[in-house]
Amino acid sequence: MSLVSLTKIRSASQNSMKRAISESLGLIDYSFKNKVINIVIKANLCYYWDYSTGQTTDPKFVAALIDLIRERVSTNTDISIVESDASAMKCKHVFRMLGYEQLAKDYNVKLVNLSEDSCEIIQVTAGKQSFSLPVAKTILQADLKINVPKIKYTMDPIKLTCALKNIFGCIPFPRKFRYHPRLGEAIVAANKAMPFDLCVIDGNIVSGVQPRRLGFVMASRDPVAIDAAAAKIAGLNPNRIKYIQLAQQEGLGTTHCVEKGLPLHYFEKSYPRKNLEKKLMGSAYKGILRLKLGQKMGLE
Amino acid sequence: MKSVRLGIIGLGYIGQIHLRHGLRLGNTEVTAVADISAKELNKARNAGVKTVFKNYEDLLKNPSVDAVVIALPTHLHLQCAIQAAEAKKHIFLEKPIARNVQEANEIVSAARKNSVRLMIGYPLRFNKEFRSLKREISNGTLGDIEIAQGTYISAGPFFHRAEGYAPVPVPEWWFSKELTGGGALIDLGSHIINLLQWYFGEIIGIKSCLGYRFNLDFEDSATCLLKFKCGTRAVVNVGWFLQGYQLKVEMYGTVGQAVREHKPGGRPKTAVQMLTRGYSDFHKPHFDELQYFADCLAHDISPSPSGEEGLEDLKVISIAYHNEMFPKP
Repeated sequence: MSLVSLTKIRSASQNSMKRAISESLGLIDYSFKNKVINIVIKANLCYYWDYSTGQTTDPKFVAALIDLIRERVSTNTDISIVESDASAMKCKHVFRMLGYEQLAKDYNVKLVNLSEDSCEIIQVTAGKQSFSLPVAKTILQADLKINVPKIKYTMDPIKLTCALKNIFGCIPFPRKFRYHPRLGEAIVAANKAMPFDLCVIDGNIVSGVQPRRLGFVMASRDPVAIDAAAAKIAGLNPNRIKYIQLAQQEGLGTTHCVEKGLPLHYFEKSYPRKNLEKKLMGSAYKGILRLKLGQKMGLE
Repeated sequence: MKSVRLGIIGLGYIGQIHLRHGLRLGNTEVTAVADISAKELNKARNAGVKTVFKNYEDLLKNPSVDAVVIALPTHLHLQCAIQAAEAKKHIFLEKPIARNVQEANEIVSAARKNSVRLMIGYPLRFNKEFRSLKREISNGTLGDIEIAQGTYISAGPFFHRAEGYAPVPVPEWWFSKELTGGGALIDLGSHIINLLQWYFGEIIGIKSCLGYRFNLDFEDSATCLLKFKCGTRAVVNVGWFLQGYQLKVEMYGTVGQAVREHKPGGRPKTAVQMLTRGYSDFHKPHFDELQYFADCLAHDISPSPSGEEGLEDLKVISIAYHNEMFPKP
């Protein structure tokens, strides 16, 4: 059983976020070690959607976390915020557009595009699949790796993007769709190759069928436990999300968690869940893609 | 000229729309296309275009092309339009006409010097809602228009809803002020400013307030205050920040008021229209503007929106950039 905490962000201010993060870490008995020198923070920066869409980690949330680290560890700690290029997104633009360049300047932290970092290949298996994954030096050399994901719906069969999926974003190849035929296994493999020490979910604005300000922080050392808890908040059954189950089988954590702080159902009802119409539209769109009607219908 | 032989230069987002429509026009044949992407050229060939070029200069040399649709990034408009004019090809040029007034002047001069027709792609001028508004203003049914407001807010080049389909890459030129000439104001504002100048004529006063939410070198939103010679004041609101689409014109006159919108249709209806007639209601103004351009060439008429109108729009935008009320620190 792993500890997962849930706390409320009282207002959208950075101080309020800092208090909620601090409270969340306290509830899972987490304390930063004094010896830590290099810290990596993996935010979730997805396309050029800003934090208000609920799709990307709020730079204010990351700033609040950095404040806390500097207070608890040392003002001299080296902190790097990392992300990698994706098929449709370039870090050089996303860091600037989403406010991370300003954050780096204000807090004297580094922004690292993992796609431009030197890498080491790590062999790893997940389920029946084996992978040779490049892992960036910045990640390999970090003493403490903090995963700061969002909770989002995504396409079947993955269904949910949260802590485990966010680490998939550390794979430096921009064209990550090469992994899509075995995406679940690739997510688990990425987490095995790059195990992170701590997960802190930015739940200030969540993204379901639409964004909504729910104002919460979740924290856990266990990415599987936190994903299982996040799935429940989003109205999904973690036992029916294959990659979460696979992550558990591969020893990355457990779906059985001990809830600390607010109970999960505190936010369950207000999460913007998929209704029947959205589910039907999703199925129809999948059908269109399968029948290759997309171009005729102006969808691609 | 009875039938128009059209060449399409650039098969990006808007070029593909023109190609799809060009293949369905009554008095037009798309005889050639040019694009740097082999994939897009193959798609065009499969759609029935006989001649494809990787280089638009080769297309311009082709005698079986009477007129060209230039749907290239803005920084390539000047060179391509001048070469097209010199090759005696009539030109349908996507908006904005150019990156700046000087380039726009050169394009207009080249078209005049070579006696070729030049039309700027402003599809809102072919939207039935906005056309009916023009009639109402001209007929006086709204009285004297005191205040107008034009709003065009969308995600701009980042045009995917977060909860929608998978995102596609944003072409690199969109991130460079040097290549675009500006941001949301030149991109979306040019549509609204052209429409308002069509309605009300000459603009005599311009102020702007620009937004920089996404920390780019140029504005991602803008509010402009325009004063027309006829007395009307208008507010133009444009932006790239909305994960949705809002295109609306409001008029408040001494007799009545009117609000007109250009809305995307529902998905099922759009799907049926695309499968049956090849274009949706949303893109009908694009279809109609191309048809109008072909008709103008067939009947030897000067098209409107003309190059001169595109130039006037750019002059207004240029002044707006210089007359910022609260400049960026």
